[in-house]
Amino acid sequence: MPTLTDLGGLLSAALLIAAVPLGWPRVSRLPHAVLALLLGSAVVLALLPFGGLPPAGYLRGLLGDLSITTTVLLLRAVGRPFFGWGPIDPRSRLTLQGLLAGGGLALYPFALGVGAFDPYRLGYAAPWFLGVGLLLALAAWFRRVPLVSLCLAVAVIAYAIGGRESTNLWDYVLDPLAAIWGLSGLLFRGASRLLAPPDRAPSS
Amino acid sequence: MTGANAPGAAPPRPPLLLALILVAFGTAFLRSPGLNPALFRVSSPAEGGPDEPRFESSFVSPRNNTQTHAASLVELRDGRVRAFWYAGSREGAEDVAIQTAVFDPHGGRWGGETTVASRESTQASVRRLVKKVGNPTAGLAADGRLWLFYVTVSVGGWAGSSITAMTSSDDGETWSAPRRLITSPFLNLSTLVRGAPFLYADGTMGLPVYHEFIGQFGELLRLDGTGRVIDKQRLTVSGRGLQPVVLVRSPREALALMRYAGPERHPKVVETVTRDAGQHWTPPTRSTLSNPDAALSGVVLPDGRLLVALNNIEVDRDALSLVISRDGGGSWETVRQLEDQSARREAPPDEARYLRIIARLARASDPSLADPTAYGPSVKRAMYWGDRYHFEFSYPSLIQTRSGDFHIVYDWNRTLIKHVRFNRAWLDQQRSDASHADPH
Repeated sequence: MPTLTDLGGLLSAALLIAAVPLGWPRVSRLPHAVLALLLGSAVVLALLPFGGLPPAGYLRGLLGDLSITTTVLLLRAVGRPFFGWGPIDPRSRLTLQGLLAGGGLALYPFALGVGAFDPYRLGYAAPWFLGVGLLLALAAWFRRVPLVSLCLAVAVIAYAIGGRESTNLWDYVLDPLAAIWGLSGLLFRGASRLLAPPDRAPSS
Repeated sequence: MTGANAPGAAPPRPPLLLALILVAFGTAFLRSPGLNPALFRVSSPAEGGPDEPRFESSFVSPRNNTQTHAASLVELRDGRVRAFWYAGSREGAEDVAIQTAVFDPHGGRWGGETTVASRESTQASVRRLVKKVGNPTAGLAADGRLWLFYVTVSVGGWAGSSITAMTSSDDGETWSAPRRLITSPFLNLSTLVRGAPFLYADGTMGLPVYHEFIGQFGELLRLDGTGRVIDKQRLTVSGRGLQPVVLVRSPREALALMRYAGPERHPKVVETVTRDAGQHWTPPTRSTLSNPDAALSGVVLPDGRLLVALNNIEVDRDALSLVISRDGGGSWETVRQLEDQSARREAPPDEARYLRIIARLARASDPSLADPTAYGPSVKRAMYWGDRYHFEFSYPSLIQTRSGDFHIVYDWNRTLIKHVRFNRAWLDQQRSDASHADPH
């Protein structure tokens, strides 16, 4: 029997596989029943073993377990056509992408050997690191960026109950996919601003 | 779901979300006890009685036509010794599996070789892709359970490794399902094991590990009684040391020795010291021991001396030495040259002569072998690297059992695992015989 952490990891990977077709605009405009059948089939296929291992297991081998943040974002993307949610508001998107990109830049180079300091160690039972997360979540709630608060709160609940194999808080809030999404979003935004034509003064 | 609103409208501040934040972080604070420092647990083998000097060797398993590597030893609760190693058609092949056998010190014989874990069995249990398995190491936990840690690779080469763990409550007869340890934030890539685990006084376990992807450095994991990773500490900066071996000298003091994998022309074993039970480690320095980018192993004797097995040479792995230090690793003396074929580097033997040498070495290593010439073709396949026939005696694992006896296992030409057993009387005899031994 798979453990709960295995189930969570495999379901997240299956969700990532199922979310891929949503990248095509026509797909998200399909009738709800057809779309539900399509996404449901994708999840089931991702969890059915082929050659001893389900496709979600192959993906899990390559990527490791997805963070809770990525899982929340995937759930939002998959649920959006059904619940009529609009796109993430620009302020939430920018803040979330900034935090994920900043977190990725602060974590990965040093964890992979740049310098002697390993920020990953902070994720093991460091109460003040948890305190920083609490301040971020409260600040995001107060500044009306609820998606950031939600991602942090759900990630911390999952961390507290051992929802993933990892015992490190970093692995619940951040993974390379989320960091790449954040970084590429910021770069795209910066490039768009640079390449946009300058505003014209109104003619008199 | 939050984040979706009418265009231009500021999102609300949902009270439910605030409650969720407070509950989430409150729960996490309550369930996260923080990390408590602990002293090292010092093992206490017997000093060794008035025995006759005893030194004997054999092969762990006579199985032929496989490539073997990275053996590791652990003393079981009843005093027997269990070895783990990996074997298959070649290093990194899909058919490589973690093998084990038990040595009974009373009968002086190894039991039959069995498979503990394969690529397939590991993949089925950890429910993700596993391409190959590698280095095993084992230790007894404070509760008496036997823990086996081994390297598994899902992506790329050894730099893409992660650690898988299994436990046994019956000294290795049966095992729990393997499970993955999460030790790295980047796709859980690149944490490998080689050195033996050790215990802290509070029952937690220290597991020396190392990282190879982009940067290469030694690290130390700390696991609680259930095997959950509760801390990770870096022992060296990038490029300075791999495969740490932690020699616990007292409840507060330990010396970590590491394989050197850098570009220096005169490579030396890297060392770092702690005097506060691992809270802090000194910056890594070069020891006086040479190291040709190869694993080493060691123990602390009851009288405080350090005994280390390693390739104490600058290139190749064709000589294996047993060295001892009486000053905490400041200086070392050679106790015994366990193997030495380095003189044949310059005058490589032809194939026929090579096979004769291999047969002679095999017979000397294990007089009970039925046909020492049978291993020649297998050794030749493993050790002919396109330029000449090599010899390799590497990856030692050295332990001292509670009876006071010492055991070493190591790669014997990548084809067999050789076991050497000696007692304290033999060690002391070597010291008196080799009082003229070269200091390093």
